[in-house]
Amino acid sequence: MENRICQLLGIKYPVFQGAMAWVSDGKLAAAVSEAGGLGIIAGGNAEGEIIRKEIQEAKKLTEKPFGVNIMLLSPHKEEVIKVVLEEKVACVTTGAGNPGKYIEAFHEAGIKVIPVVPSVALAKKMERLGADAVIAEGNEAGGHIGKLSTMVLLPQVSDAVSIPVIGAGGIADHRGVDAAFTLGAEGVQLGTYFIPAEECRAHENYKNLVLEASDIDVTVTGRFTGHPVQVLRNKLTRKLDALEKSGGSMEEFEALGRGSLYQSVILGDLEKGSFMSGQIAGLVTRKGTCSELIEALLTDSRYISYK
Amino acid sequence: MIFEKVKAVLVEELTLGEDEITMESNFEELGIDSLDLVELVMKLEEEFDITIEESEELKTIKDVVEYISSAKEA
Repeated sequence: MENRICQLLGIKYPVFQGAMAWVSDGKLAAAVSEAGGLGIIAGGNAEGEIIRKEIQEAKKLTEKPFGVNIMLLSPHKEEVIKVVLEEKVACVTTGAGNPGKYIEAFHEAGIKVIPVVPSVALAKKMERLGADAVIAEGNEAGGHIGKLSTMVLLPQVSDAVSIPVIGAGGIADHRGVDAAFTLGAEGVQLGTYFIPAEECRAHENYKNLVLEASDIDVTVTGRFTGHPVQVLRNKLTRKLDALEKSGGSMEEFEALGRGSLYQSVILGDLEKGSFMSGQIAGLVTRKGTCSELIEALLTDSRYISYK
Repeated sequence: MIFEKVKAVLVEELTLGEDEITMESNFEELGIDSLDLVELVMKLEEEFDITIEESEELKTIKDVVEYISSAKEA
């Protein structure tokens, strides 16, 4: 299939693996890109040199294009941007803010820029500033989420801009892919779907938690902080909820959450870890290599033909 | 007058009451988050036929009014 997203990035299938802090490293990104999609290394809050190592690891494993996500609230974003410019990855996606002032520098380095947008206004603004495409991510997504659902956001962003739109949030099978395309997407981004992948570094406990999750096991913590996070329910989320109800302070809340991604992704600590996940976890039941996962995702799609 | 026009945009776009908006109001107090601000900036750019730079840190109505008046003079 040759659509605008495939042409823009030189990829076979318009399927992005969403950036997940700590989870999507060079190995996972390379595996997704090798399988014909676009793997994305999560910048998260990591330091520049850590991201450089992941980029170099991915380059060893694949010659296909892959991306890096830059989290604009990261204290290390300037370093990460510098590393990305030096390493000249194929594309960057950005989250948690407005990447406007960096777009020109990325383009000068030949790097495509695809911001994640949670509203129509930001999508329009990104188009005007020269973004190559936008990712309309609804609040079904895992991790930090916006206000609107994919069903609501995606068609409105698609109508508002003429650059290609990638739909994200709540997709984990061919029906989700096709629904996104029906709503105007020319590509899709999935995160949670790739957590159980063989090439994914996430702890076995994390993978099993996703695979065994039911429809209502996903919850949102920290709405009162202004930065709500979608995660799988566990002891930590119950503690956070209790703290919120008892009127705990922002500092107490942050103290509980500190280091919780390391505890989930690396240590698999079911009590203290923050197991970020999209709402669709209940539909994620498949293990396998990234290549097998992409095949399973696209085989019955009406919009994308898997070859 | 720039302030009056800015106020009119805010009232229309964000359904704020006219009496809530003064030069000193800051966006956080008005319940305007970063996404609202993006929308607001786009409307102001249209309204005043200017481009508001990405690097601008607009926190209060006063910041906006001052930015617009300097942009109009330039």
